Order: sequence, then C-alpha cells, then structure tokens
Amino acid sequence: MFLRIVADSFGRRPRHKLLTGAALALGMGVVTAALSVSLDVGDRLAKEFRSLGANLVVTPQADSLPLEIGGVDYRPVNAGAYLPEADLPKLKTIFWHNNVIAFAPVLEVRAQALPFAREGGPLGNWIEGATVVGTWPDRAVPLPDRREFQTGIAKTNPWWQIDGRWFSDGAMECVVGVAFAQKNHIKIGDLISLATGYVTKIPAPLEVMGILNSGGPEDESIIVPLSRAQSLAGQPGQYRKLYVSALTKPEDDFARRDPKTMKPDEFERWSCSPYVSSIAYSIKQILPGADVRVIRRVAEGEGAILTRVRMLLWLVTAAALLAAALAVGASAAASVIERRTEIGLMKALGAGSGTVGFLLAAEQLLLAFVGGGIGYALGIILARLVGEKIFGAAPEPSLIVFLVIIALATGVTILGSALPLRRASQYEPAPILRGE
Amino acid sequence: MADRRATNRAMFWRIIRRLFGANPGRLFVMLLALGAGAAVTAALLNLQVDAKRRLTTEFRAFGANVIVLTKHASLSGSETLPESTIRSVPRNLGNARVTMTASLYVIATVLSPQSGKSLSAVVAGKNPRLIGWVAPANASSLAPVGSPAIPAGPICMVGGRIGKQLHVEQGSAIILSNGDQKETCVAAGLGESGGPEDDQIVTDVRAAQRLASLLGRISAIELTVPGTPREIGSYIVSLQHLLPDVDVRPIRQFTEGEAKIYNRISGLLTATVAIVLLLTGLCVMAAMTNVAMERKMDVGLMKAIGGSMRRVLRLFLAEAALLGLVGGIIGAAAGIFLSIGLGKAVFGVAARPRLIVYPVAVALTVIVAILSAFPLRRLASIRPASVFRGEA
Repeated sequence: MFLRIVADSFGRRPRHKLLTGAALALGMGVVTAALSVSLDVGDRLAKEFRSLGANLVVTPQADSLPLEIGGVDYRPVNAGAYLPEADLPKLKTIFWHNNVIAFAPVLEVRAQALPFAREGGPLGNWIEGATVVGTWPDRAVPLPDRREFQTGIAKTNPWWQIDGRWFSDGAMECVVGVAFAQKNHIKIGDLISLATGYVTKIPAPLEVMGILNSGGPEDESIIVPLSRAQSLAGQPGQYRKLYVSALTKPEDDFARRDPKTMKPDEFERWSCSPYVSSIAYSIKQILPGADVRVIRRVAEGEGAILTRVRMLLWLVTAAALLAAALAVGASAAASVIERRTEIGLMKALGAGSGTVGFLLAAEQLLLAFVGGGIGYALGIILARLVGEKIFGAAPEPSLIVFLVIIALATGVTILGSALPLRRASQYEPAPILRGE
Repeated sequence: MADRRATNRAMFWRIIRRLFGANPGRLFVMLLALGAGAAVTAALLNLQVDAKRRLTTEFRAFGANVIVLTKHASLSGSETLPESTIRSVPRNLGNARVTMTASLYVIATVLSPQSGKSLSAVVAGKNPRLIGWVAPANASSLAPVGSPAIPAGPICMVGGRIGKQLHVEQGSAIILSNGDQKETCVAAGLGESGGPEDDQIVTDVRAAQRLASLLGRISAIELTVPGTPREIGSYIVSLQHLLPDVDVRPIRQFTEGEAKIYNRISGLLTATVAIVLLLTGLCVMAAMTNVAMERKMDVGLMKAIGGSMRRVLRLFLAEAALLGLVGGIIGAAAGIFLSIGLGKAVFGVAARPRLIVYPVAVALTVIVAILSAFPLRRLASIRPASVFRGEA
C-alpha cells in the first residue's frame, strides 16, 4: 500500500514531480561541476605554472662563486667544479620521480667563434669571449627501468622561442641567440667554428639551425649540444648547472621548517608531501656533491597564486552550493505546502502524523536520488567541457563527488520539506477538507 | 471611462495584494529561491570583475618583469645609464603602481675581517630607499633573521652561498674593495633564493657607485609592472617611446608565463561563474514554475467569474515581476555582503562593490521570475468547471 501511494503520487502528477526533479538536478549539476573543477584545478594549474620554468637549480657544492653579471660568467675557464652527466637518470628514481616533469643540464664555456656564410668565406674575424651554452634541447634519457624520459631545455624553459628549429643532439649543429646573431649578421644556415685557447687550425664548423629569442642573457650566446660544450671546455661528461622543473604543492609554514629539527614522524609527513623543499632534499640525496636550491622567485610566486586561485574556486563552489541548496529546498517546501488537502484526507482516513510524514519524506527521497543522479551526470558533462576548453584535459569523474552530491541532494530535500511537513502534521483534517 | 479604468486598476492591485497575502508560506519560499539566486549572481559577478584585477597584482610575487638597459649594449655590458633615467619612467599604470629598482653591478673583492677570508664577488648596488625592493618574495627570504640588532654602519645583504664561502654571520663587518675604493658594511640576510642573489652582495647604490667610480650611473632598472598581459605590452611600448635612448625589454620568462597563467585562470573563473549563474537561474526557474503551476484553482476561479485569459495572465506576471523585484533587491543586498566576505577571504581585501552589478542582478532575477510564471499560459486551455469538479 505504501509503495502504491508513492507510485500513484508520481504517476498522478508527473509534471509537478518533473519540475521538482529538474530543480534538484540543475542545482546538483551546478554543485557537481563546481566541485569537480575545484578538485582538479590544483594539479592542472600546477602544470600551467611550469611555463614559468624550472623551480629548482642544482649546482656543484664545491663550486667557486660565479662572477655572473647579466648571465655572463666572468670567472676564469678553469675555476669551479662540475657534476657528472651520468648521474642524471637517477633524478627519475627519487620518491617524487613522477613530479619531476623536466630537467636540463647546462655547461657554459667562453670561447672564440668564427662565423662563416653558407656559401663559404668568413663573415668577420674571430669573436673573442663568446658565451657558448651547452645543453640538451630535447632528449630521450634512458632510465634504469629501461624506459625513456623525454626532457631538455625546451621543456624547462618553454618561453624560449626558436625561429627555425633546435639542433639535434650530437649533430654538428647549433642555435644562436637573437642579439648575438644581429650583432654578427648571422642567419639560419650560416656556419660557426668554435675554439678555446690558442687556435692552430680552424675546427669543423657547426651549422646554425635556428635563432633563439629567450628575453634573457641567452640571447647573447651560442647554444650547442652539451657534448660540444664539454669537449670545448675539456670536461667530458660534466655539467655545471641543472635546471629541474617539478610539480609541487604550495609551501605552508610546516614546509618551511628545517628538516633537521623535525621529529621522525614529522619528517616522514614532510618528505611525503611534494613540497618544493622536500623534492630538493630528495634530489640532494641522490646527486652526491650537488647543492640543490629552490628558485624562490618562481616557487613562492607560484605558491601564493595557486593558494589564492584554489581558495577562490572553493568559495565560488560554496556560493553555488548555497544558492542551489536554497532553491532546491524552496522547491521541496513548495511541493509539500501545496499538498494540504491530500494530507488532510490521509489523516481523516486515520493515518497518523508519523505515517504521513514518512510517506511524503519517502517521495522526496526518491526524487532526491533520481534528481541527484541526473544532476551529477549533468555536472560531470559541464565540468568536462570546462576542463577541455581551458586546460585541454577533462577532470576525472570522482566517486567522492558522487557521494557528496547524493548526500547533499538528500539533505537539502529533507531540510526543505522538514518544516512544512512538521506543520502539516499539526493540521486538523476537518477544516482542510472543508476548504478553509 | 476613466473612472472604470481607475476601478480596474484598483481591483488589479487589490488582487495582487491578496495573492501575496494569501499564503505567506509560499511567499517566503519564492522569495527565498529568488533571493538566493540574486545574491549569488551579484556576489559572483562582482567577484569575477574584482578577482581578475587582483590576480594581476598577485603576479607581483614573481618580481620584476621588465628591464631597462642601455641601447645596443648587451646585458653583460659595462656601459651604464645616467641615474636620472629613473625619474622619467612613469610610475602609474591605471590604478596600480609600477615599482622599480635601479641597480649597478660591479665586481669587487670582498673581505671578511672576522674569518680572514676574501674573494671576488659581484656587488649589486640597489636603490631600496628610493623605490623599495623589487621582489617581495626574494626580499622576505633575504630579510634579516634573528634579533634585529641596530647596525653600526650601512647594511649589505649577503647572498646565502657567498656567506657560506666567506664564513660571515649576521652582523659581522665586511669590507668591499675595488682598486683604491673601499666600503665597509654590516652583513645581513644570508638567505638562499635560488637566484643570482645567492652569489651577490647587495648594497646601497651610492656605495656601489663609489666602488666602481661611476658616480650617478646605473647598469639597469628593473620594473615590476602590474596588469593584464596587454597592459604590460602597451606599457613597454609607451616606455620605449618615452625613452628612445634606452632599451626596454620584457623578461619573457615572467611576462609570457604570467600571460599564460592569467589567461587560464581568468578563463576558468569566467567559465565557472557562467555555469554557476546559468544553472542557478534554471534551478530558480524550475522551483518557481513548480509553485506557479499550483495556481490552477486561482486561474479557474478567475476565468469562472469572467476574467479573460490575457488579464489573468497579466495579473500573474505582475505578481511574478513584483516578487522578482523584491527577491532581487533582498538578494543583491545579501550579495554585497557575500562578495565583501569572499574578497576578504581570498585576497585579504574586500572586493570593491561595483554598482553596475546590482541593477544587473535585480534585472536578471525579475526576468527569471517572469519567465518562470510563463508556463501559466498553458492554463489558458483549462475549463473552469473541470477544475472545480477536481478533475484536472
């Protein structure tokens, strides 16, 4: 009988139920969309922030102090220490290896450069003291577990613009900074010979494959494959600076504490959070003799903005939730208020207040489940659209969101109906049936 | 004639009043739904406008994004600019301020009398007193740690790495020398920033000028220009126009990164707000329609006593519009407080109320209310008799 009454109520007033259900579904759709986007946005934005470049820099511990002004090192060539290139695949074996999204070693050498036109014939004399930067443009690094990791300076410094193309690794090719190219009238396709020390014979030239616009000191330099720079510097298999771009969690007060002063359980919690400092710590563990520093300018700016944006979206979600809850609650309340006659009739036939309340609540709950489910599907579709449009990737539908939505739909409907239901249970059947 | 019209109008309003008074529960429910929608609309619209503006100021955290150098000189150049250049750089960009730092770089010998160590290092003379530090993030990591003893002489900020190599501590004296020139200062800072500052000693620009024997000259001016990517671009163009003798360059790492992130965040915010507003509107509409559909009896009665459908509909639309207006005004007022609260929570500063937002929110609410009363038109086909017999 109970089920029959409920089924009858749905069958008798389909339009009415449809509207209440629609309000519920739309309201829950808002909440689902906002929730899924907010849950997902931290990771997506953290990835976007990598367009600011590396947030960690690795230098040799024993290095002498660089005398760097505007990116040019005024140290003598032989000064300073180096790090072995062979250790680099280890970066992808640290605990946070999935967070390391790119790295690029750099070796700078001061050399003489002799540019040639393509058709032959030098474009000028030897250029003294040209900065030669050796690096990986894009390289598949073999990992210990036989996989490969694609990385290089084009990934760590995505703002670098190349007119032409990058040199291929190991080839006799190079890329020239835009300022250097202008000053020495070098074009794509020209050749450059590089040498250090006293030149007895002009070395085999490198072909210029592209012009680099970095907006930084690299505009004044010649970029060559790392192995070229190593042989120029006489430091085979060595590099001097390593840029690491890692996905991190914004630092809080806990993250800034010195790991040495932490208790064991605190240390575990610290090293199990992808703070930039804990990633730096684990890189330091696997690269002996290296000094890993956080590039504060990038890391802190990123942290500040990420925290803000995340909070902003949470608040938008909360506001949406509030509005949806109120509208749905209002709709639920309205549907109860309008059923005074029905309630009166049921009571006149001998139903107790409890039974009537239970019956109506069951109807509302059924509506909440159906509306909540539809709303969830609707919200997921919308979140997908937003995610794909803005980040090019849709957020994963999450079970937690689904449970939250169903719970919310139930809670809101029950709350919305509770007050009118309570009043309804106090109705005297006679005046209602008389139409008073 | 005029008399009849006046009576008609009086009757119209009387019925409206009655409609409101008849069921306070229903009135409350409708106002709640409309008000909630209006409050969220007003708050989100306000926040959306404000948040984008605030985000650009948040980018200050990344520090300088534009650099002014001598023309044709390389970044490494030993050429310098006259210090007066800084006075011709415009300080204001819209409502925001451009912060700037003049700097002069010189390689000097640094000696720590305490540890007896000495080495060559880059000394950067900056002008903090004139314009403040460029990068607040860096400044905080370089700020003196420990008890702030009153220094006996000028302070110089010592980078973390150079401090380690020199074995200096907070407050110990260091001597900078270049040729015959000598400067003494008290070490402070010693933080690591991961940038070139770690290997530098930052001192007052005057001291650096004396060290380099370049009085009144600077190497570069670093500017932190707030604003959207387009505003920064046009600022660079106008600055270059204003100062044809120097080279104005964006620091592309930050200008491009900021532009990309700004576009993403503002797109995300717009999309989220649009979806929330759209669905909230629909949701309120569904709730309202639900209520409106219950008016079958009223419509039946009015038709039974001779009301034409047009007049009946006009009555209900007027009621809905009035409800929308009242709900919208209440909601917009609540929206002011909501947006102030949201702004405070996110940016620490209350969002400045934009007056245009409130009429828009109220208008939207009225439209939603009227639209949701429109399905009543479908009641035109009902026959009063069947309603009263309880059939339909």
